[in-house]
Amino acid sequence: MDTTFAQRRRRDLILALILAVLAAIVPFFVKDVNVQNIMVLTLMWAALSQSWNILSGYCGQISLGHALYFGLGAYTTTLLFTKFGVLPWFGMLGGGVISALIALGLGYPTFRLRGHYFVIATIVIAEIGLLLFHNWDWAGAALGIDVPVRGDSWAKFQFTRSKLPYYYFALVFCCVAWLVTWYLENSKWGFWWRAVKDNPDAAESLGVVVFNSKMGAAAISAFMTAIGGAFYAQYVSYIDPDSVMTFQFSLLMALPAVLGGIGTLWGPVLGAVILIPLTELTRNYLGGSGRGVDLILYGAVIVLISLARPEGLIGLFSRKPASKGVPQ
Amino acid sequence: MTAPLLETRGVWQRFGGLIANSDVSISAGAGEIVGLIGPNGAGKSTLFNLIAGVLPPTQGTIWFNGEDVTRMPAAERCQRGIARTFQVVKSFETMTVIDNVIVGALIRTTVMREARRKALEVLEFCGLAGRADVLASQLIPSEKRRLEVARALATEPKLLLLDECLTGLTPMEAQSGVELVRKVRATGVTVLMVEHVMEIVMPLVDRAIVLNLGKVLVEGKPTEVVRHPEVISAYLGDRHAISA
Repeated sequence: MDTTFAQRRRRDLILALILAVLAAIVPFFVKDVNVQNIMVLTLMWAALSQSWNILSGYCGQISLGHALYFGLGAYTTTLLFTKFGVLPWFGMLGGGVISALIALGLGYPTFRLRGHYFVIATIVIAEIGLLLFHNWDWAGAALGIDVPVRGDSWAKFQFTRSKLPYYYFALVFCCVAWLVTWYLENSKWGFWWRAVKDNPDAAESLGVVVFNSKMGAAAISAFMTAIGGAFYAQYVSYIDPDSVMTFQFSLLMALPAVLGGIGTLWGPVLGAVILIPLTELTRNYLGGSGRGVDLILYGAVIVLISLARPEGLIGLFSRKPASKGVPQ
Repeated sequence: MTAPLLETRGVWQRFGGLIANSDVSISAGAGEIVGLIGPNGAGKSTLFNLIAGVLPPTQGTIWFNGEDVTRMPAAERCQRGIARTFQVVKSFETMTVIDNVIVGALIRTTVMREARRKALEVLEFCGLAGRADVLASQLIPSEKRRLEVARALATEPKLLLLDECLTGLTPMEAQSGVELVRKVRATGVTVLMVEHVMEIVMPLVDRAIVLNLGKVLVEGKPTEVVRHPEVISAYLGDRHAISA
């Protein structure tokens, strides 16, 4: 069984490699800008959901406030660039570090809460963040900030003529997020997180320092989420509090993972690949007056999934451990 | 005489007005199997939790391996060599049996391959190797009890605390549980077990400590303890004590 475990890990890695190569080739055949846009967003949300999945899926601390970290990433990069001329790459890392630190600061009181109380705390904190940025004049307040166009270059991470550089960055981001999860899944942290999720008391009795495990998961998750926020700011080149920090972003990070399979390696990717194109297409075709139709569709999909496959779509591909699990 | 592996010195635990443990001083020597028995509400589980580090005692100290562990959190005690099982089993339900045990093994190593090897070894020892890849939620109750023990053993404890791990099993299951406990002791691990089913515990333990109403009532060899009039009266009432 040791070999089957190693084989499964290797198979996951090979599958990921194949998918990444395929994803890298796709733009050579797909020239439509709208479709490219959808592909960029799909990869971005897959990566973000993968980040969310670390704290909420593996460690079981359901956060509905990740918009805060997303927004912090977007704002840090943009502010550093517009006010101090710092290149977005450094801004991205800076945003990640700031978000991770804030996640630790917030985790210190909130990780004492369990279950629903924790979820409520995450929502409230993100809303406070939103209000603060709404009223922070130096950061553009409600008007937001335009990222000034300085010409296409990788150094400034700006591309006005083509979406492809963004696409490849999003692809790398998605691959890194997946790899981080893949690595962590079979590490001390990964095991500790799952133990904390399933039963904190039992975990504690086996030497797991529950509080530290949660803090670790929060920091990693927030860091990666902020990278996504920084990328998004560069991609849309205009941010305001409502376009990077609202509750909807928190939901959008959670939904792909929930749909695909929460706490699983492939869940977020699978969920994003289905959900994001679906949203964008409904918005394109039913858009305008049909504001909110995409969200109705989300709701419907989630209801269907929770009825048919409570463990997420990944359950369709499961290797049926149940057949071996029938009690003797 | 060398100092015992575990010692509680004058331990008190109050919950508001309720006194769960009053002035309890017990000990367990290296390699011993000690039974902690007593009727319902005697304070067994409270004492057990104090030793495991779920909560600190109101008063008194707990010593393990020559060190004062009174205020030490559970995870740190586990690091020092105290492992426990739960009366109501607390498996990691969404994880496989072997993954459950790996969590325990990771306290001694961070090398995953090493932890996995150790986990398999422990599962073999506990007779669960055949169920390694099954989800913990799919085990039958007696297997879950074994998993609790396996997980605890994977932390390589010096002292294993068993909380009613033989209660509610069929006689055959209980018998194989008894054998497992003997096997564990044979590896040099001290065992402190809480039980209230006397017939199972008495042949197994080297020494029995009877708690009643939060106090140590009697302590001694199992054969002596069961005949002690105070024990009989605590379990069955005064009338029986007199007739015995």
